[in-house]
Amino acid sequence: MMDYTNQIQDIAGKLFSEGKIDVFIGYRNTGFDTNQVPALITHYKDVDQLVFNEKSDFNLTNYLKYEHTRNKRIGLVVKGCDSRALNLMLTENQINRDRLYIVGIACEGVVNELGGKAQNCLECIMPDAVVFDELLGNPTGKREYKINTDVSELTGKSLIERGILFEEVFENCIRCNACRHSCPLCYCAKCCIDQETSTLYHGANTTSGAFHALMTWSLHLAGRCVDCRNCEKACPSHLPLHLLHKQNEQVIYENFQQHLAGMIRDDRGAFYKYSLSDPDDFIM
Amino acid sequence: MEAEVNDQIVSIEKPHLIAPAGWQPLIVGILCNWCSYAGSDLTGTSRTQYPPNIRIIRVPCSSRVDPWFIIKALQTTADGVLVSGCHPGDCHYITGNYYARRRFLVTKKLLNFVGIHEDRVQFSWVSAAEGTKFAQVVAKVTGDIKKLGPLHLYKKENRNK
Repeated sequence: MMDYTNQIQDIAGKLFSEGKIDVFIGYRNTGFDTNQVPALITHYKDVDQLVFNEKSDFNLTNYLKYEHTRNKRIGLVVKGCDSRALNLMLTENQINRDRLYIVGIACEGVVNELGGKAQNCLECIMPDAVVFDELLGNPTGKREYKINTDVSELTGKSLIERGILFEEVFENCIRCNACRHSCPLCYCAKCCIDQETSTLYHGANTTSGAFHALMTWSLHLAGRCVDCRNCEKACPSHLPLHLLHKQNEQVIYENFQQHLAGMIRDDRGAFYKYSLSDPDDFIM
Repeated sequence: MEAEVNDQIVSIEKPHLIAPAGWQPLIVGILCNWCSYAGSDLTGTSRTQYPPNIRIIRVPCSSRVDPWFIIKALQTTADGVLVSGCHPGDCHYITGNYYARRRFLVTKKLLNFVGIHEDRVQFSWVSAAEGTKFAQVVAKVTGDIKKLGPLHLYKKENRNK
C-alpha cells in the first residue's frame, strides 16, 4: 500500500518557504469518514493537512481550468492517469508549464468504494507520471493495453440488448453536467451541448436530451480521454460513463496505430492527425 | 414487464412493423461544397432520378462535420444520415477528408454501440463528376433505411403534436 503523506508535506512546505508557489493542490481527509477530498493549500501553516495514499483517487488537474488557480504558481500532485491529462492540457496550451511544480507519483492503484482495486487501475496502461519535476515511488513503466471487460461483454450482446441498456442509462441522467465540470479536458468556455440545458426547452431532462449531451460529450473527448474516471466519481446517478469512453478508446487503439491519449508531449490526440492507411472500407 | 420489453424490442429492431402506412424515411445529407455538393448538382442537371427523401446541408469540407451534427440530426427528425465528401487525395483543403475519415469510424462504432443500426449512418466519397454515383448512393441509403423503419430510439418528442 502506497503512502507518500510525509514526502508530499515536506515538498509542499519547502516550496512555500522558498516562495516558489502560491497554492498547492493535494488531498486531505474529510474529517468525518475515511474518504478524501481535494485540498487547495494557500498557506505554510496548513501544509500538515495534506495526505496521499491509496484513497487519493480524484484527478486534481481539473482544478487548473478554474478561475481560482489562474495566473497563480501552482504545486500539484499527479498520478499516472492525471499526468496524461496534464500533458494534454499543456499541449493544448491551457496552462503554462512555468507556473507549475509537479509532484509525480509512481502509482500502485487506488481503491474503489468497496475497498477493492478500482477497475481503471486494473486496466491501467501507464501508472507512472509522464510529466513531473519530482517523482515519488518506484516507476514500473508502461503496461500492455487491456480491453475493457464491460465493453467486450456489451459488444458480444445484440443491438437490441444494447439499445435497451443505454436507453435506461440515458433515462437516468439528470443533466446536472457534473461529468463535464469534473473533466480536466472539458474546458471550453461555451459548450455546444448547452443549447439543450434549459429546462424551458423540451429536450432538456429527457432520454433524448441525455443521448444528445452524453454522446456529443464523449465524441468530443474521443482520442483525448485518459480514463481517470472523474466523471463517474462525480455522477450523482452512478451512470456507467466509462462504457462510452472505453468503446471509443478501443476503436481508436485498434484502428489508428495503437494511439493512446497524452502519453507524449505535443501529441494532440487521435483526431488531430491522420494516416493514409486508415480504414475506409465502411465508406461507399 | 415482458410485454413492455417486447414493445421495446419491436421499436428498436423492427420498427417497420409499427411504421404508419405511407411512411417515408427522412434522410439528412451533409455534403462537402467542392465535390459531393457539385456531384449532387450534376445529378440534378443531368436529370438522373433519385429518391426525394434526402435533405441536403452544404458544408465547406467533410472535416467540418462534427459528430455532434450527426447525433443532433438523429435526435430530432432524421431516420438516417448520409455524410459525403471528396475522395481521399482530392480534398480542396488537401487533407481535410483524412481527418474526417477517422472521426466517421469512431462515430459510427459508438452509435452502433448504443443501439443505433450501422446502416442509419452512412458515409460516401462522391466527386463532382460522379452524378450517377450520387444517385446510386442515395438510392442505397434510402433502401437501407426503409428496411429498418422509422427511428424511435432516443428520439425527441414532437412538441407540436
